Amino acid sequence: MAGIQVNDRTFASSQYTRLAPEQCQKLHWASLEVLERTGIRLFEPAAVDLLKKAGASVSEENRVRIPAGMVEKAFGTVPKRAVLCNRFGERVLQIEGHKCFYGPGSDALNIVDHRTQERRLPVLRDVEEGARVCDALPNVHFVMSMFLPTDVPSADYELHQMEAMLNHSTKPIIIVTSNFESLVACVEMAEAVVGGAEALRQNPYVTCYINVTTGLMHNQEAVQKLMYLAQKSLPAIYIPVCYGGLSAPVTLAGTFAATNAGVLAGLVISQLVREGVPYIIPGWGARTINMRTMAAAYFTPDDKGVMAAMAHYYNLPMFGYGGFSDSKVVDQQAALEASLSLAFATMEGANLIHDMGYLEAGRSGSHAQLVLCNEVIDWLAHATAGISINDETLALDLIDRKGPNGNFLDDAHTVKHFRERWMPGILDQSVYDEWAAMGSQTLGERMSERVEKILAEHQPPALSDAIKQRVREILEQYANSAK
Amino acid sequence: MTNPTIQIIYNAILEGDRERVQTQVKHAIETGIDLVSILNDGMIAAMAEVGRRFSCGDYYVPEMLIAARAMQDGLKLIKPHLMQTEIKSSGKVVAGTVKGDLHDIGKTLVCMMLEGAGFEILDLGTDVAPEKFVETVRAEKPHLLAMSALLTTTMPNMQATINALVKAGLRDQVKVIIGGAPLTDKYAQQIGADGFAADAGRAVALAKSLVG
Ligand code: B12
Repeated sequence: MAGIQVNDRTFASSQYTRLAPEQCQKLHWASLEVLERTGIRLFEPAAVDLLKKAGASVSEENRVRIPAGMVEKAFGTVPKRAVLCNRFGERVLQIEGHKCFYGPGSDALNIVDHRTQERRLPVLRDVEEGARVCDALPNVHFVMSMFLPTDVPSADYELHQMEAMLNHSTKPIIIVTSNFESLVACVEMAEAVVGGAEALRQNPYVTCYINVTTGLMHNQEAVQKLMYLAQKSLPAIYIPVCYGGLSAPVTLAGTFAATNAGVLAGLVISQLVREGVPYIIPGWGARTINMRTMAAAYFTPDDKGVMAAMAHYYNLPMFGYGGFSDSKVVDQQAALEASLSLAFATMEGANLIHDMGYLEAGRSGSHAQLVLCNEVIDWLAHATAGISINDETLALDLIDRKGPNGNFLDDAHTVKHFRERWMPGILDQSVYDEWAAMGSQTLGERMSERVEKILAEHQPPALSDAIKQRVREILEQYANSAK
Repeated sequence: MTNPTIQIIYNAILEGDRERVQTQVKHAIETGIDLVSILNDGMIAAMAEVGRRFSCGDYYVPEMLIAARAMQDGLKLIKPHLMQTEIKSSGKVVAGTVKGDLHDIGKTLVCMMLEGAGFEILDLGTDVAPEKFVETVRAEKPHLLAMSALLTTTMPNMQATINALVKAGLRDQVKVIIGGAPLTDKYAQQIGADGFAADAGRAVALAKSLVG
């Protein structure tokens, strides 16, 4: 027997953080001070009422100052994790700690067509194909709409996106809508698929990504959505956005303090509506804009690691981002930015990592980029995994048995373990002649080809005709009432 | 530019020092320095230099904006002492983000850059209904109406506003410019706007070309 191993830290894996715990504490205090001193403007009367009754001070109708004690109380009831399920009710995403799950973005205004490389307006078929590509790729864990279809009525495009995602994928869905009523309709559509409101509450198949005007300005629609999801016991993703130098101080700490004040205000509201409802906070943000061109780029280095470090400090599930680019085309810049942003989001442990496939800072997108991201994530999973060191993996007996001239290639130990090492999918590692013989393809060409292959071969299980029908009815009912 | 006060005003504008611009302009008025030369050699010359530094990359937008603010402060002080013809405002602009839309970063930037270029701005904020735009155009008689929309769902409210202007008989009295991520030149033509610009720099050029 080998004796007893004490204090074994079995796995040590890569990590990246910008903040020490003491700094997180300071930033937390700063946000509490902003909430107590400056307060927020809150445009949903029901939420103003709730906060007032719970002890906040309200002036000028909608200016709400929230005492620190109310925030600390909310931290006492909010769960430190959230769960999302797939269409079959399997609890596939355990959103907690440093676990990473990945998915696309929503509503890109243009698409770079993988067949032609042409930039054009998206149609519903692009949304359906996006959902199918996401469904097929093993490292894509949730779906979002990806594109804004221009061949459906613009007043209710969200419902068509939702129908497409329900039909063409089985993975958990993150909804984004431009108004409150569409969210209600989308949730009802999801309920129809999983078998009713109670089933959805037990096994949340959807959540909603809610954008909030700024840290200190909470628009009505955003707060309505937050309260509605809490009433439904569904997790909410609540993301106030401040741009440093525009809607908050330009310094990272200042941008963060203002943004995070809004995150904490949302936390209090969610817990006042329903104690214990999961609340997902930003794992990215505190960006600025280019002070010469005024462009709001996505791929910026300064803000990396700040929001995520804070979310870990709070031990709350977070919505991160990665796999996007500011490039206009699927080119070297797009590959570089998607890869690096995924690498950092992963090392931050930014739970739900969205926006894969985005180009032009969200004004455009690409299916082919998803294929690239899928491969990068695979690589990252290997690059960040913990290493197990034990008798089996050290294999000292094997070394001794083989001796100094040993050849391990045909050993049972090799056969048993070689698959644990990474193997490329679309990245080329062949010798020149082999590469030439295979058609001298570029990475971009291989990405497009893979998308075509998926679309030709992959079809997720269909919904039953009755459920499809019901989903369609809800869509039509809301579409008509919107008119 | 021999007068030392004018030189100080010129430098204070370059540095965006509002307080120093104000005290120096007051001082100049009290001591009877030629106001037209304060305007031309102090203020306008300083803004030209700011523009030059911006173009060659020495200055960034915030520096340009504080310089423009400082210049405006000085201008306010000497305005009552000058004849109308001696100061030309570039034009008056009513701006806002259309109904249902809360995106204001782009709109605010466009306003600030237009202000920097000498336009007088009336910013109505976000979620601005067509009636509100029309009312303001009637009351304020601006040269330009600048509308912003970032959502495909709110873009139609630009068309609605232009229709409302036509109905109110005001369409001929104001040029309409539009912008925002989902918009295009083609859309501007389609709804009968006078122009579209893809960023704040182009918005200034567009505004100047329409009003100048
Ligand atoms: C920042 C942002 C937000 C912020 C806005 C903060 C604020 N206070 O403004 C927040 C997070 C709050 C937000 C909210 C929402 N957003 Co948003 N948002 C963006 C984002 C990422 C950037 C916009 C921006 O500020 N850019 C920086 C500025 C400098 O650029 P700009 O606005 O384009 O302006 C420049 C030019 O367009 C031009 N310009 C602008 N206006 C004008 C006017 C004139 C007259 C002229 C000449 C020129 C001009 O000059 C400007 C300066 O160079 C865009 C995506 C994108 N990349 O555009 C999505 C985007 C516009 N949002 C989108 C969505 C879906 C939403 C929400 C509906 C989501 C939600 N409900 O949760 C809400 C809408 C709320 C509402 N009712 O308005 C979608 C739109 C989809 C659609 N249906 O059209 C986009 C395209 C993102 C995406 N792909 O999903 N958003």
